This record gives sequence, structure tokens and C-alpha cells, in this order.
Amino acid sequence: MKSMIAAMLLAATSLFGQVTDYRDVKTPPLRNFNPPVAKRIQLDNGLVIFLMEDHELPLIRGSAEIRGGARDLPAAKAGMMGIYGSAWRTGGTKDKTGDQLDELLESRAARIETGGGDDATSIRLDVLKNDFDFVFPIWLDLLRNPEFRQAKIDLAKTQANTGISRRNDNPQGILIRETQKLGYGNDSPYVRQPEYATIATITRDDLLAFHDQYVHPNNMILGISGDFDSNAMEKKLRDAFGKWAKGPQAPPPPPVGTGMKPGIYFVDKDDVTQANIALVGPGTLRKVPDYYALVVMNEILSGGFSGRLINDMRTKRGLTYSVGGGVGAGWDHPSLTRVQMATKSGTTVESIEALKQNVADLRTKPFTPEELSLAKESILNAFIFTMDSPDKIIGQQMTLEFYGFPLDYYRNFPANIQKVTAEQVAAAAQKYVHPEQLSVLVVGNAKDFDKPLSSLGTVTPIDITIPEPGPAPAPANAKPVATNDEGRALIEKARTFFGGKEKLAAVKAYHAVSSLTVKGPQGGDMAIDIDSTTVYPDREHTVMNMPMGQITLVSTPDASFVVTPVGTQDMRSEQRDNIRRELRLELLPLLMYADEPGRTYTATGSEKIGDIDAKIVEVHADNQTLKLWIDPSTGRILRKSSNVHGPQGPAEAVTDYSDWKTFGGVQFPTRYTQTRNGEPFAHGEVKTIELNPSVDAGMFVKK
Amino acid sequence: MRAIRITIGLLLIAFTASAQDLASFEKRTTVRKLDNGLTLIVMERHEAPVFSYATVVNAGSAQDLPGNTGLAHMFEHMAFKGTDKIGTTDYNGERAALAKVEQTYAAYDLERRKPVGRDEKKVAELEKAWKDAIAEADKFVVPNEFSKIVDRAGAVGMNASTEDDRTSYYYSMPANRFELWAYLESERFLHPVFREFYKERDVVTEERRMSTESNPVGRMVEQFLATAYSAHPYRQPGVGWPSDLATFSATDAAAFYKKYYVPSNIVIAIVGDVNAAEAMPMLEKYFGRLPKAPAPEPLRTIEPPQKSERMVTLHETAQPLYLEGYHRPAATDPDNATFDVISMLMSSGRTSRLYKSLVRDKKLAVQASGFNGFPGEKYPNLFAFFVVPSAGHTANDVVDAVHAEIDRVKNEDVAADELQSVKTRVRAGLVRELDSNSGLAEELASYQTLYGDWRELFREVERIDKVSAQDIRRVATETFVPTNRTVAVVESSKGGAK
Repeated sequence: MKSMIAAMLLAATSLFGQVTDYRDVKTPPLRNFNPPVAKRIQLDNGLVIFLMEDHELPLIRGSAEIRGGARDLPAAKAGMMGIYGSAWRTGGTKDKTGDQLDELLESRAARIETGGGDDATSIRLDVLKNDFDFVFPIWLDLLRNPEFRQAKIDLAKTQANTGISRRNDNPQGILIRETQKLGYGNDSPYVRQPEYATIATITRDDLLAFHDQYVHPNNMILGISGDFDSNAMEKKLRDAFGKWAKGPQAPPPPPVGTGMKPGIYFVDKDDVTQANIALVGPGTLRKVPDYYALVVMNEILSGGFSGRLINDMRTKRGLTYSVGGGVGAGWDHPSLTRVQMATKSGTTVESIEALKQNVADLRTKPFTPEELSLAKESILNAFIFTMDSPDKIIGQQMTLEFYGFPLDYYRNFPANIQKVTAEQVAAAAQKYVHPEQLSVLVVGNAKDFDKPLSSLGTVTPIDITIPEPGPAPAPANAKPVATNDEGRALIEKARTFFGGKEKLAAVKAYHAVSSLTVKGPQGGDMAIDIDSTTVYPDREHTVMNMPMGQITLVSTPDASFVVTPVGTQDMRSEQRDNIRRELRLELLPLLMYADEPGRTYTATGSEKIGDIDAKIVEVHADNQTLKLWIDPSTGRILRKSSNVHGPQGPAEAVTDYSDWKTFGGVQFPTRYTQTRNGEPFAHGEVKTIELNPSVDAGMFVKK
Repeated sequence: MRAIRITIGLLLIAFTASAQDLASFEKRTTVRKLDNGLTLIVMERHEAPVFSYATVVNAGSAQDLPGNTGLAHMFEHMAFKGTDKIGTTDYNGERAALAKVEQTYAAYDLERRKPVGRDEKKVAELEKAWKDAIAEADKFVVPNEFSKIVDRAGAVGMNASTEDDRTSYYYSMPANRFELWAYLESERFLHPVFREFYKERDVVTEERRMSTESNPVGRMVEQFLATAYSAHPYRQPGVGWPSDLATFSATDAAAFYKKYYVPSNIVIAIVGDVNAAEAMPMLEKYFGRLPKAPAPEPLRTIEPPQKSERMVTLHETAQPLYLEGYHRPAATDPDNATFDVISMLMSSGRTSRLYKSLVRDKKLAVQASGFNGFPGEKYPNLFAFFVVPSAGHTANDVVDAVHAEIDRVKNEDVAADELQSVKTRVRAGLVRELDSNSGLAEELASYQTLYGDWRELFREVERIDKVSAQDIRRVATETFVPTNRTVAVVESSKGGAK
């Protein structure tokens, strides 16, 4: 009793009366807040700089945004911005490689990062304050003199190609990509889908030319915030950039193109339990006079947990976890109207109908006073979060500058939202929401749908199969390769030395027993006994007895696998490719298939090997180049050089042949020594060869 | 040698001159443990008139029991459904209607899951009775009222997440909404109401389809964890197995809430434009209402040592992926700092071991990382390696390269400058976190929950500073052994497509 009275007294006298209804909670006015302002400086050469002091932490962050991006490149170079954005940083400067920059920067926990997008490229800086004077010159050098080293371009291409190979693995990724294509059309500058073929055409010259064309002070906006003195920083920047001459202005935004005809589009994906659905059509521009009414409308449709979409599709119907969208208003080009969601396959058609209804309702279901006030207050009360940090403020200013909007644009934003009426929102819906202009896109597993998609109308399937790369394009400055008479004659002579055209054509299979000594991974020599059976054109079975045990390599067109003491596993792709290549490019098959179209033989010179003036023949076959040294008087092949994939990566393998013996009427070298990248690698001895043995087909079957 | 020592010395000087150390943060941080056991942390940061909070409950999906996997996550969804005052037209009527829903569900569920002697006609009748009860209960619902109040007040970033170790709730608000926040956040855990439960179960099933079933990484990770762990609940998917998701009830969720959402199991951190001295009495008023209750019994099961390598292979049309994991102790283990350093060495930045070897030099992968705390850190967990092979390569192709880097860490002392680079980046990483209210709120509440002291956020950096090359080799040698390893691969039927 005593404690209860005490508690009641405490409650009565406390400063904060405990509230039982949220509406009774007092909300004092937000304290007066003057967000920091960025200082804007424009140099004579057109460079615009924003500076913002922030002394809370000993950090400095900066970014240069440069006009010019993917939308300014032709479709044939799709994917170039990704390569450029990556290789800009990793390719280093003239006197520092990217790898050296990595060490210099990461040991200081500093970052310089580059990127490329639709309309701009960027180079960013993030350092501890005390490292600024060390890192800034590097950042400046990279901005103006990137080296774009070829090795890093190749690395970026590997990554781009990998991205292409993986682009159909996630249904959300497919949806986003295909939505963009439907909305803008496949040829739009805003739809630049990289393919293996387009990535292959990108050269270092392309990247340097792009840099030369766009990186000029009059195309650039620089923003720096952090723990510095503005005056001192301004001086540093004027010193660094003041004398930089203007260059050509970046072009204005290109037209966006025409979207696909509205319809129902379907991408079949059979490894998912959910359909990903989008409605897509034309959007508008931010500069339209009724933009603020559109913002309120979008909030009513899809804001937070309050919007119509989430309340209907998720909370009421339980059809989805994630749903959202609205009418896009682009800064400098028309955006798209997009609404998307995902639902289990069995409620796909039901969801499409409900989603379309919600969009149509924007035109027909009146906006209630509650909806309007909730949307406006949500936007207005959260407005503080657009300017609660120096980074956000400077980012905003740079965006406004980039797109040519007045720098005080956001000052009027709250008042403009406050003014929006229900009539204006309704008018915006009539003007911008056109259900008949929206396409439906579905990515999913048709066999599990509740109803066939065709019940909604004519369906156009979209084939997302990734186009395979063509044969590797010849390097731009390669001399055209053609067989010359001398080369052809030497190959003929070599084939005759082996046994002649008819004898070689009669070889369908061969079995060889040999021993090989090869450099082991720890550097010492490893002795291997080999028993191999080859059935031309494309099957090979090799038993290797090594110190650590026996392994068997089997390669056929259907499967390539390795049998080891601990089990059978699929062969690594490099090993499989090696074997398949050698099945056609070892000496015997090289000569057996010498007449195949597409193979060329070019005599390129001679070189002394021992006492013999060997002739060098360059052979092009199967997209490979190899060289043979042939004794012109006998046709005996003395040496071969080719590119292989070894344990340490690609290598040049040079093999010398000797001790020729005849088996079944065909001559074979029985001794050979091989170097890789100039270092001794292996030597071997063939004990016996049997031509056209009887072969047990079971040896090629995976057990 | 001398040049390196001088350089390291200069770097250390750069740091000690900064004011961003523990002492200055302690000055503006107030911690109060209420009588009911709930811990409040208020850290003042007055840059702008906003604040962020994080409520961290020391219970996650590792607390789910078989048959009820997904329940911790399900309650998290329920925490957005309002209270006895918010989200309802009449709570008294609604309470009775919800009780009827539970009653009819229990009867229906019992009959439909009868293994023998099920009466299909009866099942259909009971299902109808249950659905009718739901329709009646739904009549009382004011949908999403709780979220709308929060949205209207100007919140951003409203969300929650259920991890294995903990459940977190968070958003940011304008500073003048502080009392409103205190009211809403205390009410939602004082008087939760399990309305629209069965509809929300459907929503969570869609979430499972999106995050686990319809993407190759999700599928792989689910199988991987179920293989790497035999006994411990870390093997369970947080979103729940489909059978459990289709079966558990609001009554089950209420039992979970009652057991785990006790004040001694809750830490709330607030960072921003708040005056701690003024705020504390008000916070005590609101959060002191949560009734004191016994702390839940700690998890009983300990994963037995793994004694042989385990492997799971997924055959898919998707591109190859590689994942391997080794068991390691919980985050509270003294070697935790060493594990953090190994992770940074392996995969932080372009100077990391895996990047240099697999991505840059051998071009076997486009992404290769080694990381700790998988799937959680409170209990013994996994140090995992995840590799995305580059086009033309299979999962098999990357194994040797990964193991070669692991062997290097085991067999070679890390060079002094490489180790120092890691330590510099860890320290700078902490500095970079300190200007985000929401980031800080989550970190403070999480560290307080895991270690019992938010200061561990700073002390952890000091511990990392002391890690030696010998520590790294010792820990690596103990941990990265084949018998301690679980592997999951996605093998592509399209080959390593090129």
C-alpha cells in the first residue's frame, strides 16, 4: 500500500507524465537548426568546387564527378564503362602501377576508387586527415594521367565476362535488366547490355580516348568535405587545377529511345519457386511543374509501410514480402514508371491482376484526407534527414550543379510539398498514370502458375540465352596469316617422314607405354609411369602411376573425369581443355589432320639446332599458334613450341624430340625433353607404341 | 628494417593525436540498468537534431527449437503489428476473437496432421471454422497503424532483423519525436498483439522463397549450414524450414516472446541529439514498465567436434560457387582478435591474400573472401571462405588456390608491414563508423549484449593491435585442418560457361 501511494505520488509529480495514448505525447518544435553550407568556387576554366568543413572526425572525403558515361557510347561498346571504371584505378599512373597504389594506399587505410555509370564517371578519395597531402597528388595524377595498363584491362574483362555468365542466375537481376529494356527499348543509350562480343572489342585506345574526350575542368564538379581549413584547401585546389585548360564540353543527354510496345512479356526460369513481376512504362522529368504532387502520389502508393501497395498486396492479401514502385521523374532524361513484386508461382496471375488494379486505382480510387496528410507529413517530418550530415549536403549540391538545378532547390522543397492538394494529386495521377501504356513482365516457372499467363492476353516470350562468344577476334595489329608454299611443303615432308598420308589416315587408335620425369611442385623430380590409350578423334584414357599413387584421366566429349585413390571427380576445366587440345595438336594428330580447312602453315625462317639448319613453320590450328622446327632435308621434326596451361598458369612449352623408332609402319620420337618458360620441366621416354589395338569401350565410362 | 620501424612509428603518432578515443566517448555516454534488468545506453551527438536507436534482444533464431524454426523471426514480424491500443478498433472484442482463432487452429492442425485415420471432411470443416474465425478477428484490425504512426512522425530506416544470435529493431527520428519513440518502443514490447498472424506467415514464406529458394547462394548456404552443424541450432535456417513455417501458431510465438523478451535480455542504445540527464527519467518511466522476469536458460547444446571433412554438392543451372568453413570458438574467446586479423589478411582490399592470388594473378575468381562469425558469433561458429569463380572455371578449379593461401598463413610468418597495414585499417575503420548515429546505435547495443560492455567496441581495436605473427600461425594451424572442414559447391550443368 505504501509503495503504491509512493508510486502514485511519484507519477503525479514527475516531469514526464506517462502517456497512455500516443496522441497525447507532446511533440515540441524541432530546435532551430542551420545546416552547414558548402562553399562554391568556380575557376576560370569552368571547374566547379564545393568545400565543406567538418571537424568532428579526422577524415577528408572527396569526389570528382565528370560528365560523360555509358549513354554517350555506341551499342557496340556495351560494357565499356564497367571496364573503364575499374581499370582507371587498377591500371595505375605512369610511374605507379595499380598494385603499387594498392600497397601505398591500404597501408594508410586510404582509398581512391573510380567508377563509371550512365551519365558520369567518378574518382573518389577517402583518407585520414594527416595523409591528405600524401594521397592528394596521387589522386590528382590518377585523375589526369591514368595508364590503363593492359593486364588490368584484361582483368576487368574477365570480371565483366563472369558477370555476363552469371546474369541469369538471380531472378531479381533478370527482372531489373529486362524491365529497363522494355521501358526504353533495346537500342536505347540507357540500355547497354554487355555481351562477350562487345567486351572483346574494347581496347586500351578506347579507354584512353574516352578519358581524353571527357576529363576536362569544364566537365567536372569536385566536392571535398572533412577536417580541413577551407581557405587552405581552396589554395591547394587552385594551385592544382588553376592552370588546367578547358576542353570540349560533354554532349547533352541523348534521346532515350522508344520503349517496347505494351504487352505481356515472359521469361522462363525453372529453378525458382517465386515469380518476379514488374509493370513498366514511360515516366517523366523532375522539372515538371506538378512534380511535388507526383512525389505525394508516389508516397501514397509506396511510401514506407503506409503505402497502398504494401497495405494491399502484403498486409491484406499476404501475397508478397516485397512490393513497391511509382512514377519515376528523371533529372535530365525521362525516367520510367515501375512497380514490382515477387510472389509464389501459384499466385502469379492473381498477383498481376491485383497489382494492375492498384495502379488503376490511382486514377479511380479517390485519395482520402488521411492518405494525403499521412503522405505529406511523412515527407515533411523526414526532411531533416536529407541534410543531417555534411556528406549528404555536399552530395546534394553536387547533384543540383550537375543537372543544372538551382542550388537552393531544396530550400523550397518543404513549402512546395505542404501546398499540394488532393485535387493536384488526382490531376497528377490522371496525367502520369496510364495503365494501358504499361507492359507486364514476368520471370518465373510457368508450369507452376495458378493460371496460364495467356489468360491475361497475348504473351511474348523473351529469350535470355546468353549469346556465346564467337571465335576470338584476331588482334588488331596481327599480320594476316596465310599458308605459304614453303610451309606447306615442309609439313608434307614431315608427314612423309612419319609414314605418309595413307598410313597416318589408317591410325584409328593407339596405345603407348612410357615413363616421364617432371618437376614436382616442391622443385624435385617426380617419376611417372604412363599407360595411355587414345581413340581418335576425341577419346583418351591415361593411367599415371606416381609416387603418391595411381590416377587415371579419362576424357571424352561427354565427360572428363579423374579417378584417384580417394574417389572420382570431374576434371578441372584447364586439364580437360589441355587434353582436348592435345588430342588434335600433338605431333601425330597434327599431321593426321594436316589437310583440315582452316589450318595454315607459314614458314617464317630458320634456326640452328645442333648441326641442323632447322626450318621454322608457324602452324595455326584450332585458334592456337604453335611452331615446329623441321629438318628440311628429311622432314624430321626436331622441336615444337606451344602455349599450355601449367600448374603456375599459362606457359610456353618447348619440346625437343629424338630417338625415332618405327611402330606399325609409323615413325615416332621415343625421347623428348621439355622446357617451360625457358626452365627445364620434363623429359620422357616411350617404351612401346601399339597402333589400332583392340579397345575396351568400358574404360571411358565413369563408374 | 629501420625505415619500416620509423614508418610504423609515424602511423601510431597520427592516431594517438586524435580525440576519437574511448575516453572522449565515455564522457558523452550514459549507461543505466533499470530495476527490471533492461539496459539503456544514451550516447550524445549533437551535430543535427536527429537521433537513432537500436533495440537488441539477446535471442535469435538459435533459440528456435525443432518444429518451431522460424519463430524468432516470426515474432520480429509481429512486433510491427501494433499493441492493445494501436492497430485495433476494440481490443476487448479483438482479444476474444484472436483466442477463437487459436482454438480453431489447434483443432484444425491436429486433425489435418493426423498420420493415420484422418477425416478429410472434418479437416475441411475445421479449416473453414478457422478461416471464419480469422475473418471475424480481422474486422477489428486497423492495418499497419503502428508503422503509419512511425512514418508520419518522420522516421527513416525503419526495419528489424533476426539473426542467429540476436533480434534487432531500429529506426531514426527527428529529435523532437523522442518521447513518441519511447512510448511506441516500450508499448510494442509491453503489449504486443499477435493479430494477422497467419497472413503474416504467408508473407514470411514469400520472404523465404525470395532469399533462400530462388537464388543459388541462398540454396547453397542453407545446405552448407545444415551440414557443417550436426547438433547446434546454427544449422537451422533463420527463416525456418517450410514445414515449420506452415504449421506453427500464434500461441507458439507468444510463448517465445514470453520466454525471451524479458527486460534483462534487452539492451536499447540511443545515439544523437538527446540530453541524457533529461532523457533518463522519462526513459525509466516508459521502459521500467516491462515486468521483471527470470532470464531464460542459456542454450544447452554444444556442437560436438567435427572429426571428418564434410561435403555437399548442388547441381544447378546457375554458375559455380564455392564455400568452405572451419569450426572456431565463440567471439568471446581470447583468440577472437587473431581471427579478425586473419580475415582482414585474407580478404580486406586489393592487398589481401585471396584477392592477389585468386582474383589478380590467377584470375580464377572475381570474388574471394575469408570471414568470421558465420552464421553467428555468440556461440562457436565458422571461419568461412567464399569464392565466386571467374567465367570458364569451376568450383573445383579454385580449391587448390584457396588452400595454398591457407597454407601460407599456417606456415609463414606474416611480414611486419603487412600486419601493420591490417591494424591501421582496423583502427581507421572504427573512426569511419563514428559519424553515423544509426551505425553507432546498433554497434553499442550489440557489443553491450554480447560482451556486457559497449566499450568492447573500442577495446577490440586495442586487442587487434596486439595480435602477433605467432598468434596468427598458431590459430591458423589449429583451425584450418581438413577434418574440421565443411565444403559446399554449386556445380553448373552449363560447365564453367565461357
